[in-house]
Amino acid sequence: MKILAHLVWAAIAVLGAFCLGGIALNHAEPINSLWLVVAAACTYAVGFRFYAKFIAARVMALNDKRATPAERLRDGLDFEPTNKWILFGHHFAAIAGPGPLVGPVLAAQFGYLPGTLWIIIGAVLGGAVQDFVILFASMRRDGKSLGQIAREEVGTVGGFTALVTVLLIMIILLAVIALVVVNALKGSPWGTFTIAATMPIALWMGIYLRWIRPGKVLECSLMGVVLVIASIFGGQWVSESPTWGPWFTFGAMGLSIAVIVYGYFASALPVWLFLAPRDYLCTFIKLGVVLALGVGILFVRPELQLPAFTRFTDGTGPIFAGKIFPFCFITIACGAVSGFHALISSGTTPKMIARESHAYPVGYGSMLMESFVAIMAMIAACMLQPGVYFAVNSPAGVVGATPAAAVATISSWGFPVTAADMATLAKNVGEQTLFYRTGGAPSLALGMAAIFARGGGGDSVLGFWYHFAIMFEALFILTIIAAGTRVGRFMLVDLTAQFSKAAAKKLTGLVGVNVISLVVCAAWGYFLIQGVRDPLGGINSLWPLFGISNQLLASVALCVATTILLKMHGPKFMWITCVPLVWLVAACFTAGWQKIFAPEPNLGFLAHAAQLEQAMRANPSATTAALIFNDRLDAVVTGIFLILVATILVDSLRTWTGILRGTRESRIYEAPFVPSTLQPEEV
Amino acid sequence: MKALQKFGALVLALLRELADENAYQRHLAAHGRPHSGAEWRHFTEHRLRAKYARAKCC
Repeated sequence: MKILAHLVWAAIAVLGAFCLGGIALNHAEPINSLWLVVAAACTYAVGFRFYAKFIAARVMALNDKRATPAERLRDGLDFEPTNKWILFGHHFAAIAGPGPLVGPVLAAQFGYLPGTLWIIIGAVLGGAVQDFVILFASMRRDGKSLGQIAREEVGTVGGFTALVTVLLIMIILLAVIALVVVNALKGSPWGTFTIAATMPIALWMGIYLRWIRPGKVLECSLMGVVLVIASIFGGQWVSESPTWGPWFTFGAMGLSIAVIVYGYFASALPVWLFLAPRDYLCTFIKLGVVLALGVGILFVRPELQLPAFTRFTDGTGPIFAGKIFPFCFITIACGAVSGFHALISSGTTPKMIARESHAYPVGYGSMLMESFVAIMAMIAACMLQPGVYFAVNSPAGVVGATPAAAVATISSWGFPVTAADMATLAKNVGEQTLFYRTGGAPSLALGMAAIFARGGGGDSVLGFWYHFAIMFEALFILTIIAAGTRVGRFMLVDLTAQFSKAAAKKLTGLVGVNVISLVVCAAWGYFLIQGVRDPLGGINSLWPLFGISNQLLASVALCVATTILLKMHGPKFMWITCVPLVWLVAACFTAGWQKIFAPEPNLGFLAHAAQLEQAMRANPSATTAALIFNDRLDAVVTGIFLILVATILVDSLRTWTGILRGTRESRIYEAPFVPSTLQPEEV
Repeated sequence: MKALQKFGALVLALLRELADENAYQRHLAAHGRPHSGAEWRHFTEHRLRAKYARAKCC
């Protein structure tokens, strides 16, 4: 039996290696997406069975005889032993955001190969390891947060710096995902109506849950899903109506202001009335869509039309500038390694783990699932004709301000596309135009719509599925904007409390809450407007900024993880977290340095500001002055990120050196061992 | 068939967990109180305040 198991695992490993080799070496003709699916699935299986198990058994020494915080501190609310598969789903739903969907679509400008390899290898050796170790660390410390663990294990400098880093990341994240929505909905009455309709639907759900049928969340969410799908059909009618269509047709600036106003109200309204019902709805739709997309890809098995590598590996990409290293590795964050996951792994999940061994599938396994979502997004983007992909994603400032100019530029790159092709495609999905929709959401929606439409209905249902996918992405993102603005508010209060407790208290009153909500909205709204005004499309500057900040947060988490492993075992197992840490630090610092100082104006913020300054000497204008200021501001923000993380790195290195030299106490702040009395039927 | 039923029950339990319905049942059991509109509102005040004070993932 044991020999048979060895043979099966050997076969899985060989199959995975064969498929990885196949996608890496076949550059001559389009390949089927199944190669990517099998390569990913086999690599994940081997990583999960061998590498994660090694970490669980040898490094963490997970012990089911040790009571977890869920058992010891059980209160029926936060601390509750939960079935491992339910917790797996719960944790996956918490870590799955728009990042793994949008990042791979943007990185597809390099071709399908660099991004795919990073998603698979980065997740197995980096992202899943980070999530697993932080989950383990938090579980052994009564469910403490990353900031608290950093303060205890590394030092107070690390803890404070982590708080500031997270707040800054939040602001950039909210701005960039808002920009994705704005670029998806501009000039689209169908999409705008559908998203606008989700707001009264959420309010109705809030009232229903509060007063009509309290506690019936599943029933209420089912009604919400039906109403949202009805709103997609309503959106088609609105877009075709000469009376109503113009009411829901907005330009990018109008939509940006609407999203900022939405962010303010959504974060200031009572949570039960708007945010919570919207979040329930979003979670169920998200899980349903991920499942449907997985089934769709297996059923349709589309061919990848984008090549393994495009000419933009040289750093001249139209969506964002920069070479594969480092920009592929910061563009795809959440699908491979995401610092944000460390916040979730040290949030609710460690308080719900029934047995220590459950941290293995929940922490490591959920990240592999997230990585697979990123692979699906990559497939959906790469199944588009390359010309279409670049026409949808390239900004007017790069390819030309008219459809004729855009198709001429894109065709000259070796990706033929015609204005007539684009017009037909736009008509098929019920849009006026699909040009200049930088941000990833529309091209992902096109890919998803093509997959779902091939399942039945063909071109006649393409418009419905396209707008279903846009609704799914926008609903998802707008929920994060509402929740993120709210969390940003709490963080600002926390930060104020570090200096003055009395001032922080004032900020929690009615006036304080409103003022601070305005401040947070103004902060991310500023970057959103900057992105809309940016002639290079906004994504070129904001997405790398977000990617750098997210990966820097991952570096913070990996510093904490390394410190813990060092204290547990000495230097023996440090490499487990040090290898991804070194890679991320190299990628982030190189990207950060290039974004600030690169001499190419499309890449370096300061070079771009200098170029604009020169243009302004010839033709002074307030708009150009604002663009120059924004470039310099982006350079400063990037610099701040690098300084913050360098501070944590230096602090960690000081701690590690002290421990290795024996001049520093290597005390582990774990909760004491208490034997578990949990019965099997309780797990 | 039994395995399918078990899987269905697991999926339903997951959905109920995501919907906070399980947490509400635990709350009622822990405090020995029956379900009512007022109790649900009391539960959600605490539950949602804690839930939306944490960062949501990107």
